Formats: sequence, C-alpha cells, structure tokens
Amino acid sequence: MSVTPAEVRLAARLGPREVFGAFWTHPVLRAALKAILTIWVTTTLTFFLIRLMPGSPVDLKIDELMQTSNGALTYDDARAIASGLFSIDLNAPLHEQYLSFMGNVLHGNLGNSFLSAGTSVTSIILAVLPWTLFAVGTGLLLSFSVGIALGLLAAYRRNSFFDRLVTTGGSVVSSIPNYLLALMIVVILGSQLRLIPIAQMRGAFSPGMHPGFTLDFIGDIFYHASLPITIFFLTQLGNWILSMRSATLAALDEDYVVAARARGLTDGRITTAYVGRNAILPLVTQFAIATGFVLGGAVVIEQIFVYEGIGLRLLAAINQRDYPLVQGILLITTTAVVIANLAADLLYGRLDPRIGRAGGATG
Amino acid sequence: MDPILSVQELSVEYATRRGALRAARDVSFDVESGETVAIIGESGSGKTTLAVALVRLLPRNARVSAGAIRFTRDGITRDVLRLDDEELREFRWRECALVFQSALNAFNPVIDIWSQFLDTARAHGMKDTKAVRDRSFELLDLVHLDPERVLRAYPHELSGGMRQRVLIALGLLLHPALLILDEPTTALDILTQRAIIDLLRELRTKLGFSMLFISHDLSLAAELADRVVTMYAGRAVERAGVEDLFYRPRHPYSIGLLRAVPRVTGALGSVASIPGSPPDLISPPPGCPYHPRCPLAIDACLAAVPPLLPVDMPRHDAACIRWQEVARTIGTAERHVAEKLA
Repeated sequence: MSVTPAEVRLAARLGPREVFGAFWTHPVLRAALKAILTIWVTTTLTFFLIRLMPGSPVDLKIDELMQTSNGALTYDDARAIASGLFSIDLNAPLHEQYLSFMGNVLHGNLGNSFLSAGTSVTSIILAVLPWTLFAVGTGLLLSFSVGIALGLLAAYRRNSFFDRLVTTGGSVVSSIPNYLLALMIVVILGSQLRLIPIAQMRGAFSPGMHPGFTLDFIGDIFYHASLPITIFFLTQLGNWILSMRSATLAALDEDYVVAARARGLTDGRITTAYVGRNAILPLVTQFAIATGFVLGGAVVIEQIFVYEGIGLRLLAAINQRDYPLVQGILLITTTAVVIANLAADLLYGRLDPRIGRAGGATG
Repeated sequence: MDPILSVQELSVEYATRRGALRAARDVSFDVESGETVAIIGESGSGKTTLAVALVRLLPRNARVSAGAIRFTRDGITRDVLRLDDEELREFRWRECALVFQSALNAFNPVIDIWSQFLDTARAHGMKDTKAVRDRSFELLDLVHLDPERVLRAYPHELSGGMRQRVLIALGLLLHPALLILDEPTTALDILTQRAIIDLLRELRTKLGFSMLFISHDLSLAAELADRVVTMYAGRAVERAGVEDLFYRPRHPYSIGLLRAVPRVTGALGSVASIPGSPPDLISPPPGCPYHPRCPLAIDACLAAVPPLLPVDMPRHDAACIRWQEVARTIGTAERHVAEKLA
C-alpha cells in the first residue's frame, strides 16, 4: 500500500488526477491532505467573516482619534491619519485582498498588526502562544492522566463508595461551565475571601522575572498559570473519568479479558495491556477533540484571569478589528487543533492494529 | 490412581433479580488420566457454567454454593475451591487450560500473537524467551500452522479456524494435565470443525493430556470422548462410557438428544425433537426436572429428584427411576437408538 518514489514518478507522468489518487489511497498522505484542506477552508471562512463584522479598523481608529483629540481633529483629518497607519489597502476589492493574504500566508508571512504598527503578527503570536499552549497543554494532560487513572479505578471498584464519589463529583464539576467556575474563583476566593492574590497572579510571569530554565522562573510560570490550569483540569476531568470508566467496564466484559485470567496472567498485566490498553483507544480521539474545545475555551478563561495568552490577545484584536492579527491567531489555533487531530489519527492507527497499519496488508 | 479431576456435588448459583438461579446442581464426575470426558446437553443446561466454575472464572454475580473440585497431578491433590488468589493464578493454564467457545474473541485484539504467547509463559515464570519461542514454534507446527507467520500476526488477521488452532496451541504451552474445551467448534463451519476434531485426537495421542469436552453436538462428542456426562437443568442425569451412552442409554433425556441428531443412513423423518423447553432454573418443577417433557413420566417422578444411581451396565449411572423401562425398550444391542425405537 505504501507509495514508493517510483510510483509517485509514474503517477506524475499520468497527470494530476492520478497523483491525487495516489495520495488519497495512502492513509497518512490522505490524512495530511485532509488536514491541509481543513486549514484552508477555516482560514478562508475567517477571512471573510471578520470582514462582515460591523465597523472597520479605520472607522474604529477614526473614532478613537477624534475622541482623544477632544474635537481638535475634523473627521477628514482623522480619516487621513488613520488610513496612513494601515499598511493594507482596505479599499481594494475583497478578492484581491484575499489573494494577497493567501499568497503571503503561503510564504509564511502573516503580515503586520494594524494597531501596533510595525510589529509582525508572527512575533506577537510567538510571544503569547507558548503561554496558552503551556496552560492548556498542562491542564489537559493533567486531567487526562488523572481522569484515566480515576476512571479505571472506579470501574474496577464499580458500585463502591469510591466509584460513586468519583463519578458524581466528576459529572458535577464538569457540568459547571468553565467561565462560571473561573468567575467563582475570582469573585469568591479572590475578591471576597481574599484567599488567592488574583491581581498578583495576572500575566504569564511576574514582572522582573528573567525567562530561562531556572527553578525560580519555572515555579513562577506555574504560579501564574495555576488558575487557568485548574479550570482546564477541573472542567475536563469528569469527562475523562466517565469515559474511561465506561470504556473500562466494557473492556472488562470482553472475552479476551476473561481468557487472560484463564491464562493465569497477573492482575497488573491484565489491567495495563488487556483492559487499559483497549479501554483507552476511544479516548485518544476524544483527546484530540478536547484540544479544540479547550483552546477555544481559553479565550474566555484567559480574559477572566488576565493571563497573557493567545486568547486574551485574540479578544483584544477582535475588539480593535485588527484583521491581520485575528486571521493569524485563528490560523495558528486552527492548525494546532488540526495537527492534534492528525496526530490522534496516526496514533490511533499505531495503537489499534485493526485500523489500517500504514503500509500493512489491511490498510 | 486418583482421577486428574474429581468434581463432587458441585452447585453454582447466579444471583438474579428473581432470586437464586441454580445453574449447576450437585454435579459429580471424574476425569481419569489420559481420558476424554464429554459433557453434553442443550443450551442452558449448565455446561459452560460448569466449565468456567472449574477454573473459578465465574462472573461476579455467580458463586459456587456447594461441592468440591479436586485436581490431582504427580500424586498431589489440590482443592481448587480453596486455592488463594496467587495459587489460583498459577493453577490456571499450567494445570488446566480452558479453550473458549469463541476463539475469535479470546485474543487481545491490539497485541500480536507472539506477545500473547510470551505473556502467558512469563506469567508462569518462564523467563527464557528463546525457550518460549521454541515451544511456540513446536506447538504451532503441531496444529499445522506456519509459526513464523502466525506469531507475527494480530488476531484479526487470522481466520476463525486458525484462531481456534492458535488457542489450542496456546492452551498446550505450559504442558497442562487437563484441557477444557468449551464448544470449541461451534463458531466454525463443518469442514473446519472436522479438522479441529481430528487435530485434537492427534494431539491427544502425541501429548497425552486429558480433556473435558463440552458440546451440544453429540456426534463430535462421540468421536472424541471415552466417557459422556449428560446434563439437564444443571444436573448430571446420566454418566456412561461413550458406547453405552450411544447404544444403551438409560435416561429418557439422553434418548431424546440422540434422536434429535440426523443420521446419514436414517430415514427422513426419523429425526425427532424433544417437545417442550428446558425448565426455569429459578423455580424448577417438583421431582425429576425432566418429567414435564418425558414420555415415560409417572406420578412417582414428581415426588422426589431421582438420584444418580448405577444401572445394568458397569460404570454407568442414570438419574431416572424408570431406567428399567428404558432398558426394556432399548436393550443392549449395538444399534442406534433411533432404529431401535422405529
């Protein structure tokens, strides 16, 4: 099933349709092609949708200039200044703007931010993206591993006190919307009881900290990310517990688990390689989907905790109609989610031999 | 010499909403060294429950409520029901391997066959990977498979018949004294069934293990077994040598089962099913559980459960108070029961 270079050369001679066909029959190439298609469609939709929002960046800038000048500027003056600030010609026809945008994206150039003149979108994203990936990634991995352990244990001790506690607790915490939980932490623990120094914990790290692989710095970034991480952790946890519990219960009833017991395997080996390994399979796909949800949820959560991540930046960019920045951020987050899904797909094929082994006989 | 397996008065209960379901009641039988015993009966007669109870693999809602399971090897007798968890784990597969009805699902789908052989060997302290590999090759050769290819394969890459062979090979990995086969051919087509049965006979001759063969298929049982136990409603109703059971049955239920099997030489229409259906195991009928379906039933059959007692043949027991009436119609000639009744 694998496509050798010779086959690709042959296909090239046969024309575009055959090349496409060759890509399409190879599971990994097909998945990659789908991923690229998804990113393109999303990027295109974003491009047009943000231009449908009322008020262009120029209008907003004009308003801002007129207000700050206290009437010293006329509308036309303000308009002239505002237009000068933007490097993109917003009066050009939409399709021309789109083509030039896509051309730039293909060259890896996401353009400059409208509002922080001269700053490239790429540099802004590079400054904020790591913090979001750090908080989201840590929260998600933590909830996944803890959830799986608790779910497995709950299934093994089904109907025990522990099982009821964990499943009820998990579903209650998960059914509270993440923004509500975040607000409760800020309002109750932060403002009223003053148990958490909310204001101090803002930002991605404390002012005056020097980034680097020092224990101080790592401790500091965990300190600042702890509230978003807690929210991502808590709101995802119940989902993993419940999914893992039911997947484990199903696996425990499988004939091969009974057969493994009959073969005298140790409980440890049965739990990991026979029950756990099979129970976790459906959760791999869920994990990829959760990445998208959590990344989307980060927009609101970062706003509430004023965490210097990509979500906080995105909301600001939307409010200011900073088209290039919005496009850039959405392109990057879309790519991240698509890559997570792609990785899950490929990983799934590795974890479950029944789902076509790349290059295998059953692909 | 002690039998390898001695089951005494074994009873198994399932807890259900309506009350205790007694799937096996006071079942007793022995398996001698090198002997093959077949347990036959309809679906729901308690055969599979019995098989899994022997290695204590009953589901959570079931328990052994009475009886004893004694297992003897090299002069050492062990009470299986008294083994602790670790002893039980070591006992399983090393002493007594269970070949499941659905070999299709008996393998972990996500790891290859070799890993499953290795897992089994390691669980029983075989650390020498090379030795495990040699033994696996030898056994897969014996079951007429290509060891190289099979060990590398994942379960879904093998056909049903191949998986059943692999499971039999895996069953013999640790040189068990007893192989329990629970309907080993039910999921297979008729030609593959034939091949598996021939294979089991061949292996038995070469390796000399004992077998407990559980089946609803009398013709397969007839080919493999030395002795047969007929089960009905969780009870052993007849125990006999295989020829006795087929030519000189003494329990009306065994006769019913025999008549339900079509024969190549028999006239069309000579096949007769047993009227009625198996009894409710939660509240069985009074007396002999077979009396509602039995053509020979009399009032006395309702009075008490008939005990399994010796009849007119040596090593032959039947749980029927009217076995003498049965003997009168069947006789002792070596002719098929259906012909005798025709």
